[in-house]
Amino acid sequence: MKEPPDDKETGLPGLRSWGRVYWVVLGIMAAWIVLLTALTRLYS
Amino acid sequence: MNWIDYLILVGSLLGIAAYAIWSTRGRHDLRSYLKGSGETKWLTIGLSVMATQASAITFLSTPGQGYESGLGFVQNYFGAPVALIIIAAVFLPIYRRLKVYTAYEYLGHRFDPKTRLLGAGLFLVQRGLGAGITIYAPAIVLSTVMGWRLDVTIVCSGLLVVLYTVLGGCDAVSLTQKYQIGVIFAGMLAAFIVLLARLPAGLTFTDSLALAGGFHRVNAVDFSLNPDRRYTIWTGMLGGLFLALSYFGTDQSQVQRYLCGASLRESRLGLMFNAVFKIPMQFFILLLGVLIFVFYQFERPPVYFNRSAWDYQAAHGSGGRLRALEADFNEAHAAERTDLRSWLEARHAGNAAAESAARGAAAAAHERVEAARAETGKVLRAANPRTTANDDDYVFITFILDHLPHGLIGLLVTAFFAAALSSKAGELNALGSTTTVDIYRHIVKREASDAHYVAASKWFTALWGLVAIAFALFANLAENLIQAVNILGSIFYGVVLGLFLVAFFLRRIGGTAVFWGALAAQALVFALYSALPISYLWYNVIGCAACMAFSIILQAVIGPGGKGPAAAAAA
Repeated sequence: MKEPPDDKETGLPGLRSWGRVYWVVLGIMAAWIVLLTALTRLYS
Repeated sequence: MNWIDYLILVGSLLGIAAYAIWSTRGRHDLRSYLKGSGETKWLTIGLSVMATQASAITFLSTPGQGYESGLGFVQNYFGAPVALIIIAAVFLPIYRRLKVYTAYEYLGHRFDPKTRLLGAGLFLVQRGLGAGITIYAPAIVLSTVMGWRLDVTIVCSGLLVVLYTVLGGCDAVSLTQKYQIGVIFAGMLAAFIVLLARLPAGLTFTDSLALAGGFHRVNAVDFSLNPDRRYTIWTGMLGGLFLALSYFGTDQSQVQRYLCGASLRESRLGLMFNAVFKIPMQFFILLLGVLIFVFYQFERPPVYFNRSAWDYQAAHGSGGRLRALEADFNEAHAAERTDLRSWLEARHAGNAAAESAARGAAAAAHERVEAARAETGKVLRAANPRTTANDDDYVFITFILDHLPHGLIGLLVTAFFAAALSSKAGELNALGSTTTVDIYRHIVKREASDAHYVAASKWFTALWGLVAIAFALFANLAENLIQAVNILGSIFYGVVLGLFLVAFFLRRIGGTAVFWGALAAQALVFALYSALPISYLWYNVIGCAACMAFSIILQAVIGPGGKGPAAAAAA
């Protein structure tokens, strides 16, 4: 499926493709899970 | 609440609603009424998606869950970012390319009319019931605590949301949600700051976490493989993924929010905004509950947070028993407070042995506190079975009314109502759209003017609003409110998601196979729900997997001739 030209650009600095945006979001999710796991280990 | 609080409450809610109605006046064509002006930017979409999902139950009940069970509920949202990425990459481009008004219209394109009706029907049943809970949940808690009449609270808040949703359509919903979520965040942040300021002198933030950890309130991630546990990392990553995929990807109340984006880019960014902020937002709300737990270890809470239920029974028959339990509770709490102060001193002095001894004593006293509280609940429910089973829903509102200054009380109560209205508006907008597009225009009246369909959509939206108000007026819910909504969703969501995943990824499956496969899967979920004591999140996985598996098997039995008419041509 072809996307309209303006939709290919994410408009985000440093993140030109949607694939990169998705990887960054996954990285943030992983960071939260690691942080919460550390919190659990530290205070349980 | 005093007049300042009421001024903030009434002024904010009416002001936002009036502004939305005024801003969206003159929307007479079906496209702009159901999908907005087509100019909506990513931030509005992101906040609108967030506001639709985060109802008053989220803000009222979740701190209570943090207070009672700790941070574990946050795992429920671990699957959401992955789900939102899949929706942004796969679902969204197809919806936009086909220019559909509803997600179920896509099922008609891909399969056949009966499968479209099945998807729309499942949505209308579960969301119609859910809409009643959305309006009932905050009303029961707020009316009980404030001393307002429950029916008046339900009718007033219900009619306000019906009014601006009917008059303004999709854009009015998005616009009000943007401002309402601003009020909600301001209120929650204010409560958090006041709470931190009111913690005992000498108790640092890390002390608070250590104290809460000693009572198992900081167990955010659980790697247990026990299927009986409701929230583990596995239920969150897998069950939560399927729940989020189904809710954000196929529930019209969400699909309608991001279909109104100015472009595919704006809609995608709106979804990514939620993918980034969903986990931290839930963590923050639960942490608020955990800190309220810490606060109440030093400040004596009521033995039962639903104070009006306690007061009523204390004056009508069970008074002696309740007062004895309260005296026991107060004595145990005083002992626990003394032990915790000793623990804090030992911790600051670096005396590990004294710290351990004080913690053990505090834990023993805490068991007495919890036993007195649990027994109070039993006495109240034995005297009146209609007493809400879960006292946690009253924790946060009790803290607000007892410990926040006037003005902030008004802001927080406004935040709860804003949250109720924002999610309710999204639901009503979607229920009206689906009834108009997938039922009325598709079956009852195929050829009519735009003005006719806009009028029909307004009538259906109003009708669903009245159904929700009626359901809320006669509902008598027992379990924790937020869980009731999630459980209801999980029973239907898995199968609906299965329909869409078959549509997107199993190109050889036709309408007849998926239709009967979905019905069989829904029957299986009903049967398992009544028989198995597993976490409700697993029903999202089971329903979806069963729908896909049954569809594949049935297609194999029927053969290629059983394909839906548009199967080969669709995306």
